[in-house]
Amino acid sequence: MKGLTHFISAIATASFFPQVVRMSATPGAQTDGAQSSFILALAGLYGIMPDTLDFKFGRFFETAEIDVYPDPRTPDPQSIADTLGSAMDRAIIENREVRIQFHTVQLSADHWRQYQIAFDAERQEVAVVIGPVVTTSQVAFAGTEPENRVGIYQLKHARLKPGGARSTTVDIMSGPMYGFRPGKDHLLVDFLPWHRTWSHSYVVGAALALPLWPLALWMNWPSVWIYPLIAFLGFATHVTEDLTGHMGGSLFWPFFRERTRGLCWFHAANPDSNFVTDYIAVILILFNLDRFVTKLIPLSAPVFFLLFLIGPMLVYFLPKLVSTKPGSKPKRQDSVQGVIEAHRRQAAQEELLDESESIVG
Amino acid sequence: MTGYLTILAFCLAGTLSGAIISLIPSLHIYNTAGIALILWTHIEGIIPYTAVAPFFLSLVVAYAFLNTIPMTLIGAPDESASVTILPGIKYLTLGRGFEATLAGGIGSLIGILFLSVAMPLIYVAMPFIHKILSPHMHAILMAVIVYMLMSEWPKGEGLGRTTWERFRQAWRNVFAGLVTFGLAGILGLIVTSRTLVSPDAGFQNIMPVFIGLFAIPGAIEKLLSRETIPPQHISSSIELTRGDIGWSTLQGVIAGGLAAYLPAVTAGIGGILAGHAVARRGDRLFIVSGGVAKVLYYVGAFLLLYCVTPLTPMGIGRGGLSIILKPVLQPLPRELPMMVGAILLSGCISFLLLIPSTRLTIRLLSRVHYHVLYWATLPLLVVLVVFITGWAGLALMLIASCIGMIPVFFHSRRSNCMAVLLVPIALNMAGYGDTILRLLGLD
Repeated sequence: MKGLTHFISAIATASFFPQVVRMSATPGAQTDGAQSSFILALAGLYGIMPDTLDFKFGRFFETAEIDVYPDPRTPDPQSIADTLGSAMDRAIIENREVRIQFHTVQLSADHWRQYQIAFDAERQEVAVVIGPVVTTSQVAFAGTEPENRVGIYQLKHARLKPGGARSTTVDIMSGPMYGFRPGKDHLLVDFLPWHRTWSHSYVVGAALALPLWPLALWMNWPSVWIYPLIAFLGFATHVTEDLTGHMGGSLFWPFFRERTRGLCWFHAANPDSNFVTDYIAVILILFNLDRFVTKLIPLSAPVFFLLFLIGPMLVYFLPKLVSTKPGSKPKRQDSVQGVIEAHRRQAAQEELLDESESIVG
Repeated sequence: MTGYLTILAFCLAGTLSGAIISLIPSLHIYNTAGIALILWTHIEGIIPYTAVAPFFLSLVVAYAFLNTIPMTLIGAPDESASVTILPGIKYLTLGRGFEATLAGGIGSLIGILFLSVAMPLIYVAMPFIHKILSPHMHAILMAVIVYMLMSEWPKGEGLGRTTWERFRQAWRNVFAGLVTFGLAGILGLIVTSRTLVSPDAGFQNIMPVFIGLFAIPGAIEKLLSRETIPPQHISSSIELTRGDIGWSTLQGVIAGGLAAYLPAVTAGIGGILAGHAVARRGDRLFIVSGGVAKVLYYVGAFLLLYCVTPLTPMGIGRGGLSIILKPVLQPLPRELPMMVGAILLSGCISFLLLIPSTRLTIRLLSRVHYHVLYWATLPLLVVLVVFITGWAGLALMLIASCIGMIPVFFHSRRSNCMAVLLVPIALNMAGYGDTILRLLGLD
């Protein structure tokens, strides 16, 4: 999920505590326990913290053995595919983890060269497809793909598990890191091996929330226990929400270091899941703020949620439900596979042509 | 009948005045509105009382539409658009500035239509939302502050041989953002707790700070720039899909709604939040939604003043225009339809004015280098600041300019400068303002 979604969801979780909502009110609200507290913002802070730890700190301290810097002028897909495939084979040969960092290709302040990394478990191949030039908004300039676009490496030692590796697109800001580890029967592929590990653990969340207890004591804040509790719940909301994605998290690091797989319901950047979660969170916050302090909404809870939650959601999804367009849009990965297939066909034709020329010649 | 004609005439006058003022780069409509109000209080009778609100409202409507021209064609963003300006500039460099400007204008037109249609619903719902959120406003603003600071990610991956080198390089913009936010926040605490400018100009005391934080750095950046504006293509149509319009409206309404209601949250900050909430990408979406958000931010905020209900007997005063006009205006709910009529009229005229004005500006820019416009604007801004707030205001403007230059040089978010209002308002609403001032030795 996106940062804002985690942030608002964490605040929504905190808003279920009557004491928190009352603490957050200004004394003018004439409610018991009003303290003008910023505790709701504290929940949001801890809600966004796991990704902050990863993307603002953790990633810089994780180093890869191999760095891939594609040539901005003439990117060579075969060389990139060879480097990737060799790294995977090396993990098996040397029986250890090998990490590879793919770097972005920045062409100007706002232009980047896109490239895609694909894993084919059926053929036991990895492929690299050079894509178009894109803007920072990831809007592609059509026709900017180079002629020599595809590089394919046939794995020699590593065995890919079907569905065990996710293809990805590298374009703006920063590129992904892959970690390859030898598994029982197959090569284990970790996408962003530094992400959602120690930072996405309930144990770490509790450890980071705990210092708020002595701080609240020292500051002489009333109800010292509520601050670490709310901070932990904010953190835990993030970790739990991330389980709906593909990558999961190391939920009990350092006791269990393995990163568990997510439920794969939707991708982290899915606009619909993010927007819907944000909207639900906002409605829940409004409902909770009112029922614990102002008590102004002249509607029962079912009517309120029917009008302001279910109704708008129906309106949001209605265009999709009534859409007459056949099928869904082809996924990016499908188009990568298409390019690879086209490359294969062309290579086969060229081979055939060479063969026929040699026979004729 | 005469009364209606007078209002109509002042609507037209406001629209035309706003249109002209909007074309001057870096000159904010609130500065002009402030001067206009000073003139009006000195020469009462120039505008009849009934036409004051329609006149100023039309002024702001025209600004929301036509300010897109300097913003896109010569890169002069105001505080509302410091996030959404980049896609417009991109279009400009591709020779599609005309298209970008009109797309922004279409967004503003959507904003006007949305306000007109949704106003009855807003009138009913906003008093409830306002009463529910008011006791927690300081916490909401603090949440906005926390999110703004936490969501500025390192740009790029940080190239370097060592971890520290990579960390340092990647963190440049994040650190610059934090410094900007901190300094602007302290400046805001000082400005709001001390009367630095003449009490006569009290209601414009934040004006030199805003000019310093946003207008001057933007102008200096452009003057330092060696970029030239490529020939612009005057297209006969605008490429917008139904999806673009739908998503832009949703994003713009969220951005503008947040900015219109939350104090010190501009359409720029609202744009960051809405962009993350809607989670869709695309330059056209940004440009159109920016147009929608600007209307809601400038115009919608003022209309909230007319939400006079038993729950909100004084209306919901939001936005710069409300602050400027509140001392002289007593809004009545029965005037709301007239205000909606005024924005519809002014909005339609402004959109029609946008097309020839964009063509004219493009023609002007093909003959006059945009540096000339900025060289002309800078002294104008200085004179304006000295005229309204005196030499103390000028000193304030210079200090604010230094802070405003940090994001320009380090490519961090300019919206961090809004800490100048966000920090003091959040702290004062929570009742911690005095404590912080004491800690800073400013009591």
